Amino acid sequence: MTTAQSKSVTGKKLKNFMNYMKRYWTLYLLLIPPVAYFIIFKYIPMTYIQIAFKKYSIVQSPWEMPWADNHGFEFFIKAFSNRDFRLALRNTIMLNFLDLAVGFPAPIILAILLNELPYPRFKRFTQTVAYMPHFLSWIIISGMALQLFAPTTGLVNIVLTRMGLEPIPFLNDPAHWVWTYVFLGVWQSVGWNAIIYLAAITGINPELYEAASIDGAGRFRKIWHITLPGLRPTIITLLILSLGRILGSEFDRPYALSNNMVKDVSNVISTYVYAYGIKGLQFSLTTAVGIFQSVVCVIFLFAANALAKKFGERGIW
Amino acid sequence: MKKILSLLLVVAMILSIMAACAPASKTSQEPTAAPGTGSSEEEPEIVDGRFTKTRKITVEVFDRSNDGGSPPENNFYTNFIKEGMLRDHNVEVEFVPVPRWTETDVLNNLLAAGDAPDICVTYSYPTIQAYANMGGVIDLAPLLEKYKPMLTNLWDLLGDENIYYDLDPSTGKLWAIEAIRAQVPRINTFVREDWLKKLNIPEPTTLEEFENMLYKFKENASTLLGADADKIVPFSLSFDVGWTASNLLISFVPDETTDEEFFIYGFDDRQLMWPGIKEGVRKLNEWYNAGLIWKDFYLYKEGDTTEGNMMKAGYVGSMMQNWDNPYRDGENGIHGGLQKVVGPEAAYIAIDPFPNNAGKYKKLIYSSTDRKVFFPSTNKEPLASLLYLDWISKLENRKFLQIGEEGVTHEVMPDGAIKIIAATGDKIMNSVNNLDYTITINGLDLGDPDLTLRSLALAYAGVDEKYIKRAYEYAMRDGFAPKNFNVGEIKSEAGMGQVLKEKRDILFAQAVTCKPEEFDAVWEAGYQEYLNAGGQAIIDERRAALEKFLGKN
Amino acid sequence: MVKTRKTRIGDLVVAFLCLLLILVCLLPMLNVLARSLSSTEALIRNEVLLWPKGLNFDAYKMVLDDSKYTWSLLWTAIITVIGTCLSMVMTTICAYPLTYDNLKGKRFINAMILFTMYFNAGTIPLYLLLKDLQLLNKPAVLVIPYCLSVYNMIIMRSFFYNIPDSLRESAEIDGAGPIRILVSIYLPLSTPVIATLSLFYAVGRWNGFSDALMFMNNKREYWPIQLLLYNILNNITSIEVATQEGYSKPGIADSLKAATVMFATVPILLVYPWLQKYFIAGVTLGSIKE
Repeated sequence: MTTAQSKSVTGKKLKNFMNYMKRYWTLYLLLIPPVAYFIIFKYIPMTYIQIAFKKYSIVQSPWEMPWADNHGFEFFIKAFSNRDFRLALRNTIMLNFLDLAVGFPAPIILAILLNELPYPRFKRFTQTVAYMPHFLSWIIISGMALQLFAPTTGLVNIVLTRMGLEPIPFLNDPAHWVWTYVFLGVWQSVGWNAIIYLAAITGINPELYEAASIDGAGRFRKIWHITLPGLRPTIITLLILSLGRILGSEFDRPYALSNNMVKDVSNVISTYVYAYGIKGLQFSLTTAVGIFQSVVCVIFLFAANALAKKFGERGIW
Repeated sequence: MKKILSLLLVVAMILSIMAACAPASKTSQEPTAAPGTGSSEEEPEIVDGRFTKTRKITVEVFDRSNDGGSPPENNFYTNFIKEGMLRDHNVEVEFVPVPRWTETDVLNNLLAAGDAPDICVTYSYPTIQAYANMGGVIDLAPLLEKYKPMLTNLWDLLGDENIYYDLDPSTGKLWAIEAIRAQVPRINTFVREDWLKKLNIPEPTTLEEFENMLYKFKENASTLLGADADKIVPFSLSFDVGWTASNLLISFVPDETTDEEFFIYGFDDRQLMWPGIKEGVRKLNEWYNAGLIWKDFYLYKEGDTTEGNMMKAGYVGSMMQNWDNPYRDGENGIHGGLQKVVGPEAAYIAIDPFPNNAGKYKKLIYSSTDRKVFFPSTNKEPLASLLYLDWISKLENRKFLQIGEEGVTHEVMPDGAIKIIAATGDKIMNSVNNLDYTITINGLDLGDPDLTLRSLALAYAGVDEKYIKRAYEYAMRDGFAPKNFNVGEIKSEAGMGQVLKEKRDILFAQAVTCKPEEFDAVWEAGYQEYLNAGGQAIIDERRAALEKFLGKN
Repeated sequence: MVKTRKTRIGDLVVAFLCLLLILVCLLPMLNVLARSLSSTEALIRNEVLLWPKGLNFDAYKMVLDDSKYTWSLLWTAIITVIGTCLSMVMTTICAYPLTYDNLKGKRFINAMILFTMYFNAGTIPLYLLLKDLQLLNKPAVLVIPYCLSVYNMIIMRSFFYNIPDSLRESAEIDGAGPIRILVSIYLPLSTPVIATLSLFYAVGRWNGFSDALMFMNNKREYWPIQLLLYNILNNITSIEVATQEGYSKPGIADSLKAATVMFATVPILLVYPWLQKYFIAGVTLGSIKE
């Protein structure tokens, strides 16, 4: 390439860049506050994460703290060699998986159901009522659950015994407790989670439904061929995000609903961290477990994202 | 050229992260500057107990967010303290409120930021030990020795025992002072007086009689409760089995058990590892399977009002609680509620039916320690802080805080006894006898023990004196607190409090509710788990430390 | 459109299922409402199910008389509105540029933002940072630290992707800049997602209290309503505090507990019905299609 040609190539590149910036500089302007926000409120505190690899001291900054044993992995090893942690890990995966299996489709079904309701006032009323449970704290919900499901004084069991049937140990038998836990979770969140799907449904062109009717399609055909495909991008996005929370530690629900007879299944990572890390004042351990959770979640996120892309969908990144 | 942009962003990020180090280390500069010594180079000048230059200190105060309460950092009583401290010692006092039940979390943040108050108060000694190990607490031993002559009131109230209670014998360090607990009765067994009368049962004085009484309650449910017969609970237990069955369990502990044994097996605050406890739990298991105990006791957690409501509604025949718990809080209390819902003849009385193998009615009472007061290493005014503790321990000051103004928060009875009146507005007491301010003492102390006792009996609105006197007498009878051996820090206990407590509660719950033939297996399994999770390590270390302390080897 | 019999039966089935749903969700709320209006004796005896027994308004009187509740409610409403507006602006200006596939540095910024969703260091470092920024115990600390949620931003961006590129391209040909396109094309077409995310942010701010617990410790007058209620409900001296101090208080009346729950929940419940009118923008979208 001659100098003249290379000069014109660089010149062209520069010109392209200037054109690009002239068109899009406002976009970067828009991005400045959000990026600044993330740097200040997320990345600067993130330097604290290193305490997972150090011996925590409340009077030193993270840079001054001494390194933990085993090349800094002391607390990770401590967590994994602890039987309670392994149990908590197992329970977390199990409960989250069940939550996903039951709780992910539920709001979609609800949104579609509501969409099929032809009475507008009824529909609005149902929507409003369905999301009310979301606002109750788990302490209150557990109080209600006890009123209904307690083995001897719970309403449901009283009715069952009056009918001559055996009372069901909803809350005091580990296997039953798991299902009670999952279904209470669904009850609390289905109306709320359906909101997003309802919003997505409004984006579907109503003319498609009319055209389908003219073609003689029944209710289920319309749902299958119009509603669901219309919801597909939303479903995929939320599914990826949900899979990325597979080791997520919800604290309120397991803490409020558990009791001393079901601890084998109700102890999850968040309650483990509460007992050992927070109440036990072991901050490094808490952070180490948090990092472990985050790393696993990110792995799942990438996997789910890649899978979605393989199927031709647009991923999250 | 897009590479330049990305590069710029990366550089910006790195720069901001580096910038973060500067402020972070700045804030921690102060605490690391002088841990353990506390005082600055220049000795504060002090004349007649007053500083020549005004000093400032901050003091932690619990915020209970009481309904109708006054702001804990600014009210009639804080003004009294502030004026007094300024007048007597030339020290300005500022109060820092900390919410009572999240106090550990908030204190953590304050300590990490170097913002902790100069004087901190907590019930959890392991917390203090943990902070001390990180260098966050001032060693009080040298300070106390140096300034002892100025702190006469503190010594008068607490004595060497409470002041040096937590002294570590091997390192000589003292991280905290123990406040004193004035009244030490702990738990009482209560039973329905009207039910005993109705069924013509004499007051039980042995385990057998108590058990027979429970069976009689169950059999006569329809007589006692009419249509609600199926709701009867002869004996109520809570999820905290070790607390609500304490007197029963302790009665199974052999009388010959030595103080040393109590110490070695004494980590658990419900005495799980003491000899004999297992048999006590077996008895509970027997009662549970016979339908004498509230079937759902383990389901309801702290703060749940279900058990209390059952008592108020009149379904519960007997239970064990804080020595005066049913009588507290007038209308809203158990006694008050019971009288409202069931009728004026219904009442709970204290009984003492659990003698041990030597015929003594031994039960646990509180040790004379209460809260622990410590100075974080950010405290720059240790002398002023110590003088604060001294001031607040002076009888006339704390007496005023405990009973307030005559006519407003108390009235004087003809025999001199003090009766507390509930006030409203600024002079309201946010905590019982303002214990949040009298941080070195918990419990009424008027200087004269007899006067104090007579006044205590008057503190229960709407409850006949005779119940209180009886409850006090029974709760104190043959009461003992295990001896404290100050062996220093037990490292294997660090961070294990919550974990082992949860395992203990699970063990108790499962052992009580399982079938009688499974009891031994369930107990063994649960107990092994407790030991494996850290219980054994604690026992071993305690034994070794104790032997060293006592000079045996 | 004439309905076939099959459709009508189907409609009834759907209606029936919705009715069940309503019962399951509404009955618990009715229970709380009934408890808040019942007498103490009825609550002690556990006789209240769906209808108040011993009807009285004492609990509500107590709540409304105490000005700290009503002030806190107003204050919480204020920070909810301000916080939601701030959050929506931040979310939009973050999501929109990221819909441009040819944006240079897009992958990097994407990664950087996504990373923060999974790695965070907890409360203490945030506390230290806020202390350095002098934000502690100031009202701004209730709206700024959590104003931008990555999750919500991803949802918004997802919705933006659904808007056909052809609209953008034709606007660009007409000479419109990106901001102009955002304001005149994307925003009007996104009312459902804006309504949804506003609701998410509003509810998040209304219900959240752990940030106020840590960062607004000293200024009681700035406490959001949920924190106030959390503290008051916890005034039931737990067994732990009781065994430590040797005193226990049976706590506030059950009816007051229920009343405070209603008090804190009903205002935010009323927001959604008001927002529902924004959920019918589908009509607009359809009509733009050429």
